[in-house]
Amino acid sequence: MTRVLLVRLAWMVPILFGVSLVAFTLMRALPGDFAQAAAGTADVSPEALDAIRRELGLDRPIWEQYLHWLGQIAVGDFGTSFVTDKPVLGELLPRLAVTFELTLLAGTMAMLLGASSGLASARFRGRTDWVVRGFNGLLLAIPNFVVATLIVLLAGLYFPEVGIFNYVPFLEDPIGNLGSMLLPALSLALAVSVTISENTRAAVLEVASQDFVMVARAKGLHSGAVLRDYLVRNALTPVITVTGLQLAQLLGGSILIETIFTIPGMGQYLFDSITSRDYPVIQAIVLVAAVIVLLVNVLVDVAYARADARVSYG
Amino acid sequence: MADASTASAVLARPGAATGKRGRLLLVLGVGMLMSMLVVTLFGPQIAPHSAIAFSPDSLAGPSAEHWLGTDSIGRDVLSRLIIGGRTTLLITFVAVSLAVAAGLVLGLTSGYVGGMTDEIIMRALDVVFAFPVFLLAIAVVAALGPTVPNLILTIAIVYTPTMARVVRGPVLSVKRWDHVEAARSVGVGEFRIATRHVLPMVVSPILVQTSLTLANTIFTVTALSFLGIGPPPPDPNWGGMLSEARQFMELAPLTVIGPACAIVFATLTFIVLANGLREWLDVGSR
Repeated sequence: MTRVLLVRLAWMVPILFGVSLVAFTLMRALPGDFAQAAAGTADVSPEALDAIRRELGLDRPIWEQYLHWLGQIAVGDFGTSFVTDKPVLGELLPRLAVTFELTLLAGTMAMLLGASSGLASARFRGRTDWVVRGFNGLLLAIPNFVVATLIVLLAGLYFPEVGIFNYVPFLEDPIGNLGSMLLPALSLALAVSVTISENTRAAVLEVASQDFVMVARAKGLHSGAVLRDYLVRNALTPVITVTGLQLAQLLGGSILIETIFTIPGMGQYLFDSITSRDYPVIQAIVLVAAVIVLLVNVLVDVAYARADARVSYG
Repeated sequence: MADASTASAVLARPGAATGKRGRLLLVLGVGMLMSMLVVTLFGPQIAPHSAIAFSPDSLAGPSAEHWLGTDSIGRDVLSRLIIGGRTTLLITFVAVSLAVAAGLVLGLTSGYVGGMTDEIIMRALDVVFAFPVFLLAIAVVAALGPTVPNLILTIAIVYTPTMARVVRGPVLSVKRWDHVEAARSVGVGEFRIATRHVLPMVVSPILVQTSLTLANTIFTVTALSFLGIGPPPPDPNWGGMLSEARQFMELAPLTVIGPACAIVFATLTFIVLANGLREWLDVGSR
């Protein structure tokens, strides 16, 4: 197990290197001038721009700039925001926590919704199956930002007394915070739950057709016990994997959802930074998101290998 | 956001009726696609009003004059939907064509040549895979600037790795088949084998993935526009319309429901098409 983990982590090094290269190149390949963006929108003299270039090291060769940037990130320095002049990391962390909460809530909802509907679909077949899958097909075609917009519209039309834009920090009022996160998390969870539902259904159906389940039935085991001890347990492995792999989608979707519901998370921070051309922030967020996704993918792989003895990474 | 495993599983039902159901879905999908194409291609002729001219009659409800009412500066919502589809679909089709072309070249090279070449191409694609698609799209558009060509380029970049993987997988097994060996033994060149003897065998999964990518691209394009980094104004587009309409949506719900329905219809079209193709061509059936 340790070996599996080590091999996977070792593979991450070159990939992380590539990821950092992409994040760096993206922001330096801008149409406009990096120094100009750093100076803000105000008119600045060429001399002042030169001074900014020297200060940010933009006059040095590009590979030297990259190595310098990489070295700083290695010690936790993601640079200074062009807009607030504060270190990016300090501004990013609290927002990351908010997005983490939203993603966690949405992930939990998606898993509950998806696993139960998928299980019901596979267990009862017939009409239940038909309804669940029809609903899934429809949900899949409605993008999360459309769902969120429609939720906001319906709430505005029929429940104007419910304040949906009142984000409450968790530390101030945990209950109120959860209340304000409920609808955003739901809009994020719906599309992801479809993937989980379909995978649960397929996994349960596949396990159900295997010999050991038939043996269990043949020896007279109660069908509820078969479901609990054989089907659900064995079907859960692929489902966990799928849920983990949906994280990238949740993170991407949170940008839209946070913007719509005005939740001060990483997504809204990214959106604001793009509007104000705050490149160090964009760079940091892109990098952090990619690292999170990579780490979770490794965890999912390891969890999968641990849960299923047949999988080995020799 | 439909990923391959989900969308191809949805609506799929194991059983003997698969072929018939596939054909039915395919006919439905093609029908939806044709109606969408006709409306967008002949948009300027069909649209009852100008899509960008405003009038004092703002946020009006539905009437015989304006079927879906007007938006906050008095533009006809229906006309904007029809014209807005042109931009959205243009970006979608061109970008996905590019992604398919790039994915074909990379996937075929990677799978057919194998060895070190395969390793390098796949690891490079892993780097792109590490980014959440939508986040990467935002970053690239923000870096390049939101213009139609840049949006096309961005979407082509983010979906190329998926296409390349879908092509590579079956190529790996097809290249070991007997007919490939036979072609080689009678002296057919490697390039010709790859394009004439291997490629035709892997067309089915590519077609299905293309259709799914089209559905995903509708999401990405409209979501980028929704965030305000889509095609520049004044030309309308669905995502931008939805975003603009949010401000006054309680006064004129149709300004939101119109573009929402258009986005869902377009996404549904490609999902139905993908499932029809998948069952008809019997790709990865369970």
